[in-house]
Parts: sequence; C-alpha cells; structure tokens
Amino acid sequence: MAVRAQFENSNEVGVFATLTNAYAIVAVGASENFYSVFEAELQDVIPICHATIAGTRIVGRLTAGNKKGLLVPTTTTDQELQHLRNSIPDAVKIQRIEERLSALGNVICCNDHVALVHPDIERETEEIIADVLGVEVFRQTIADNVLTGSYMALSNQGGIVHPKTSIQDQDELSSLLQVPLVAGSVNRGSAVVGAGMVVNDWMAVTGLDTTATELSVVESVFRLGEGNGPSAINTTHKDAMVESFY
Amino acid sequence: MKTQWKDIPVVPTSQEFLDIVLSRTQRRLPTQIRAGFKISRIRAFYTRKVKYTAETFSERLSATIDAFPRLQDIHPFHRDLLNTLYDADHFRIALGQLSTAKSLIEAVSRDYVRLLKYGQSLFQCKQLKRAALGRMATICKRLKDPLVYLEQVRQHLGRLPAIDPNTRTLVICGYPNVGKSSFLRSISRADVDVQPYAFTTKSLFVGHFDYKMLRFQAIDTPGVLDHPLEEMNTIEHQSICAIAHLRAAVLYFMDLSEQCGYSVSSQISLFNSIKPLFANKLVFIVINKIDLARPEDLDAATQEQLQGMLKSGEVELLQLSCTTTEGVMGVRNAACDRLLAARNAEKLKAGTNSSGEPTGRLGDLLRRIHVAQPLGGVVREASIPEAVLKMKKYDPNDPDRPKLERDLEEEEGGAGVYNYNMRKNYILDNPDWKEDRIPEVFDGKNVYDFIDPDIEAKLAALEAEEEKLEAEGFYDESDDLEDAEEADIRYKAELIREKRQLIRNEAKMRKSLKNRAIIPRGAKAKKLSEMEAHLGSLGYDTSNVATRARSQSRGRSLARGRLEGVDGDAMEIDTPKAALERAKSRARSQSTNRRTDGVTNEAARSQAERLAKLSQKKMNRMARQGEADRHQTGSLTKHLVAGKRGIGKTNRR
Repeated sequence: MAVRAQFENSNEVGVFATLTNAYAIVAVGASENFYSVFEAELQDVIPICHATIAGTRIVGRLTAGNKKGLLVPTTTTDQELQHLRNSIPDAVKIQRIEERLSALGNVICCNDHVALVHPDIERETEEIIADVLGVEVFRQTIADNVLTGSYMALSNQGGIVHPKTSIQDQDELSSLLQVPLVAGSVNRGSAVVGAGMVVNDWMAVTGLDTTATELSVVESVFRLGEGNGPSAINTTHKDAMVESFY
Repeated sequence: MKTQWKDIPVVPTSQEFLDIVLSRTQRRLPTQIRAGFKISRIRAFYTRKVKYTAETFSERLSATIDAFPRLQDIHPFHRDLLNTLYDADHFRIALGQLSTAKSLIEAVSRDYVRLLKYGQSLFQCKQLKRAALGRMATICKRLKDPLVYLEQVRQHLGRLPAIDPNTRTLVICGYPNVGKSSFLRSISRADVDVQPYAFTTKSLFVGHFDYKMLRFQAIDTPGVLDHPLEEMNTIEHQSICAIAHLRAAVLYFMDLSEQCGYSVSSQISLFNSIKPLFANKLVFIVINKIDLARPEDLDAATQEQLQGMLKSGEVELLQLSCTTTEGVMGVRNAACDRLLAARNAEKLKAGTNSSGEPTGRLGDLLRRIHVAQPLGGVVREASIPEAVLKMKKYDPNDPDRPKLERDLEEEEGGAGVYNYNMRKNYILDNPDWKEDRIPEVFDGKNVYDFIDPDIEAKLAALEAEEEKLEAEGFYDESDDLEDAEEADIRYKAELIREKRQLIRNEAKMRKSLKNRAIIPRGAKAKKLSEMEAHLGSLGYDTSNVATRARSQSRGRSLARGRLEGVDGDAMEIDTPKAALERAKSRARSQSTNRRTDGVTNEAARSQAERLAKLSQKKMNRMARQGEADRHQTGSLTKHLVAGKRGIGKTNRR
C-alpha cells in the first residue's frame, strides 16, 4: 500500500516523518491532515507519535530507527525524549547519540537487519547503532553521495537508491543488504528518495507529486499490496517506464 | 512546445486602436504650451508628441504581431491545421499588413520630426504635429480588415483543443456517422456531441484517458468522404491534417451495417485512397456496430475486399460495439499496447549507438529499469503484524470508518483552533498516569537527570568500581625517585641550556639594528681600552700594542706632550705645541647683528622695517582666516527665501 501525502505543502515526506515496523513518528504540524494519513493506514497496528526533535519539525531527518530501536540526536531535549519513551513501546530501545553528524536520518539508512551509514561517522556511534538497532553496520556511499539516509529508502523487502546509481553499485549494495534494489526517484523526479518518502514492510508514504510510474516502482520493489514484486519493474512496467522517463 | 494559444491578447478594431494610442499620447505627455515660449522648447514639445505617438503605435502593433504563432515555427500539424482553418496566406497577409503599417508609421514620424526642426512658430509646429498624427491615423484606419480578421482568428485559436503532436495519440477516423464520436465518449470523459446525422463533429475533439499509468490522448476527427483532396471541405481537411501529421495509432472506423448511409465498398475505397497518409503509422481497422453486423455476415465479395485491406499484414482488424460496449476496452487496449511497443522500440533504437550500447539518457533509463537482486542466500524476514492483514481498508466515505485525528479536528473547530492531546496515546503501566505532570526542575535539579529508577544502584556500582580501582592502586603515583647521577645530568643540562639561551639573546641584541644604519666593522670606533681588556683576557701583553695605537691617534695635545717624554720611539714631530700655536694664530670670527646688516644708517633701517611690515600685512590677514577655517555664513530666514509665493508681493523675497 503506497499513499501520497503532503506535509504543509511540502512533498518531502521523509523529512517530517519516520516510519518503522514498530512505530511511526510524525512532526507536529498546523493541522492533523498529515498525521491522519498515517493514522488511516496504521491505526491500532503500531503507535503513531506526534513529536518534535530539538524543537524542530524535521523529525524524519534527525532520527533513525527500526523496529528494535530509535536513535535521536544529542540536541533532543529531556522532555522530548520522555514523550517519545512514553509513546513508543517499551520493546523499542531509545538512545540519544552524541554525534557530530547530528542529522541521523540523513547519515543512517537502516532496516531491521542492516544499516548503511555515512563514512565519517564516529566509531562509538557505529557501535551504538549496532547495539541499539540490532543491525550490521556498513560505511557506504550511494552514487558517490555520503548521505546514505537521504539517497536511499530501505525496508526489509527492498530498497530504492538514487536514480543515477550505476548498475554495478546497485548489485553490490543489493548483495550487501540482501534485498532487491532499484534506482528510482520520487516526487516527480526528485533524487532524494530517502527524504522524499517513508516506508516500512507493508506501507509507504510518498510526496503528493509522485507520478503513477514512480509509485508503481515503489509498490513493486517494496512488495506493497498483493502480487507486487520487484520483477514487475523490468517486465510489466517497462513500457510505461520507458515512455515516461525517456 | 506550445500546443495552444489561449493567451493572445485581444486585437482591438482599428478605431479602438486609434483611440488607445491617441488617448495615451494625450494622457502621458505634457499639454501646456504657449506661443511665448522659446521656439526650441515649442519644437521639442511637438517633436515629443509625434515621436511618442509613433512609438506607441509600433509597440502595440508589434505586440499583436508577436502574440500570434509564427507558422514556420510551429509543429507541421498545427501549421496545417491553421492553414486549413484560417488560410495561411490570409493570415500571413494580415500580419504582414500590420508590420507594413508599423514601418510606414515610423517613416511618417521620422519625416515630420525632421520638418519640425524647422518650425518657426507655435502655430506652424502644431500644424505639423496635426498632419503627422493625421497620417498615422489614416494608416491605422486602413488596418480595419486585417484587425477584424485577426481578432476572429484569435477567438477561434483560443478555443482549439490542446493537441500535443508528440505524445501518445490515437486518431479516430472514418466515414461520417460510423461511430467515431461514440467511441471517444466511451473511452474518455470528453463530452462529444453524438447525433444520428452526418458531420455532427465539425472539428477535432480531444479526449484523455489513462492506460498503464500513462496519459493518452484520443482525437476524434470529423468524417471524411471519398473524394479527391482538392474537393474536400475545411471540415474534412482537418481530419486529413490530423491523420497526416500526428505520430499516432490510426483507428479507421467502419460500419458494416451500412446504417451510416455509406456502403461497405465505398468505406473500403476511402481507406485505400487515404492509405498514403498511413505510412509509418500503426493502423487499425475497427469494425463498429458489431451488434448489428459482423464481418462474417458480409457477402463473399465484400469479405474478400475486407481481407484485401488486411493483406499487407501491418493492418489489424478489431471489432467493437459502442451501444453494447462490447470490445470497446479491447480495441482501446490493443491499440495502446501496440502504440507503446512501437514508440518504445523507436526510442530504444534512437538511444543506442552504432555498437549497440545505450547512450546518454537511455543509459540512465536502463539503470533505473534494472532490478538488482541479492546474490547471497540470506532471506530478510519481513515483520508485518497480523493486524495489518486483518485491517479493513480505510474508506473516507464509509460512515462507520474509524475516527481519525482529522475528524476530531474538524469537530473541534478546525486547524488552528483544535489542540490535540499529545498524551492521549501514551503507553504506560497505568492509564491514569497519562495526565500526570512532571516538573522539569525540582529543588534546583533537573528532574530528568534522576528519572532512571535504578539510578541509585548504578551510582553505587560505579562508586564500588571506583573504590576497587583505588584499592588496587590504579590511580597511584607510580613515578619513583630518580638517582643522583641523573639529577646531576639534568641540572647541568639545564645550566647549558640557560647559557646557550643567554648567548643567543646577546647575539640577537648585538645584531639587531634598532633603526640604525649598518656600519662596517672597519668603520666602527672601538676604544683602545676595550682592545686592551680583550687581549688581556686572552693573556697577551698589551703595552706595546697600546703605545703604538696611542702614538698613531691624534689625541689631546696636553696629554701628548706628556707622553712624548715617556715614549722613545714616537715619530718625529716638527714643533712641539704646534696645534696650540695654530689654534691661537687664527682670529675669532666676530658675530654680527643681523638687523643692522646691509643697512647704512638708522633711518634706512626704520624705513626698511616699515616696508617689511606693510608687505606682511596682507599675508597676516589671510593667515588669520583661510578656506580651511570654519566659517559661518550669515543666516537667512527660511520663509523669505524658500517655498511658493503667496498672493503678496514678490520683491520681499
């Protein structure tokens, strides 16, 4: 199930929300429209939490998490941390990280098994990521971009990387992550796929500008909805992709 | 590329045009002129009027010309369509007339501006201006017909459907009344008029539909009759234009029931006569109204003719009925599929270089179509909760839908008024705790620093560890006393370092110039005593050296006299006390009073003094006050020197 949404006229859904298999964090907005998009799909399944991080609304870029844990930057206040702790199940570990690269959502891209991180991240942080999120940590770049979290959207079933990633890089990353990958875009050609959408194992939320073709790629590679699989991309959807992207 | 021209500004009629221009001249330029003014001012006034009017004319004319599409710059389809609808020659001539008028007006303006330079009086200048504006107005009035025509073209052009010649297109064509418009109605939301008579559709209509996540346009064309191109009317020409110029799938509609009023054989012959237009296009023969007649129902001869149409192999036969909607979607999908396949093949071919490798944007595209599959055998478990599979899909129109925060917000007064409860969904051991308030600071301490329930235990553990470490001597000072020899070496080394530093400082002091000139060592005066001290310190006997040096230096005469007696090997000197003698022999020059210098007597001196004072007078005065000195001018009362004059006299100012 992939839905389109907008946060206060911005298509960058991944900036204002974090979505995992165990919880979702949504920025505090002027209206409840964005929150209700998540609510309609996730109500009574996983907790959805309104939150700010360090008083800002860019919660998706500042936090990184999966079903086992949540990492927040050092700028998070005590009250915000307490609020998150109260709203998120106790099974999820929450950890505040002292890291110079404080936009954790930009520098960490993870699912429940693997995390790709910025090459310059500190050693201690790397260990904390491995412990709290329960993942293997790899220092990686995506299409020569160090911000792995911005240029990649990842779930346990698949992943989308920057549209200019070479086929060789895609194959390497795919073998590392053990999930199928495609190079794609969201929000009518935006390359920042990580910041433009959020995804977990059964749903994705992309910006309102996302085209039908882009959305079909998202649904196929993340296996959202019945009968969708990544193989559809270069078979059934190939015609549409050639027509719309070339 | 532009596909429609909705934004052409209104073309005024010639009279309106004239009014616009002349009233603008009147409004924007000064209107007051008098015969008493300087002639150059009068000339400038009227020259400006003439020039400004001409400029306004040419500006507005060129705006009109530029707003219309240039036939040579637009897609051949649009060019041909415009030619059919408005007659390209007529259109070009109309625009040409506008452009000629523009240059004529400019020429008139130039001529009259030249004449105005020789205007002798206000009256003469005014007459020249009148003549110039009159001639411009006449030129403008002659544009009556082209302007009316262009306005009509503008209105029609704005209402043309936006047909994009490059996108995925289905062109629906055929005899009148065979069901082309019904088909468009059934596959898209286009509201095309369907009537049971021929030529219901008189122009091109466009409908849009989505297939395979792509937007397609279907173009309904007016019916075409089977006669030579020259005999076709404007309506039919539009169809031909669409068929000929659009890179599209052409659906040739046929009615085998002959309800349309045209025989099957004439429909087949029309197909054959417009066949040249189908070159390099996908063509489908669509049999409509199969609820009435199917191809199988035809007699043998006609069936053979029909098969003859399909013989080439490039043409596909499809069947549908718009009334029963049988086969409508099948026809649409078949046509779209083949169109997509053809377009894709073309694109892939165009993006591949001679060695068969994709280049440029095609390479980028193939990168995006590639699905990287993992090599290893690890299966990443997805964790999808059971609740997801059981969950009912949210439907905003369902009355029993779960209540969302947005619904609550609407009920409570909308965005900006409603404050949602952040604590509502807290997961706590006891739900009563949800609304409990926790102070941020308590007794001067940050409460959250103590929030950990095990903090005491953890602190105790840390302290225990610390004690343990201390007990094990982890923090003990482990540096033992160094032996005496080492201390001695250290002490000496310290002394050496100090000495070295002193030497270094001294040398630096010596060498530093301190703003003095560099003096060569030879030129530097050095005292004898210094030399003696130095040689003495080195252990030499200095007496001989010293006496020799003394004997060579001039020295003070009294002392020399004394020394000469002592020293035997002094040089021969002619007379003793010679220097003294010489000094005494020279007369002391007398100091003079300069005031009396060069003046013969007292009277002459006072005279000179007076003259000196006189010549100094002006200089003194100037010296007292120069241009650099602060100077305050006499202040004037403001109301006397500024502002408008009142009713009263002017000479007070």
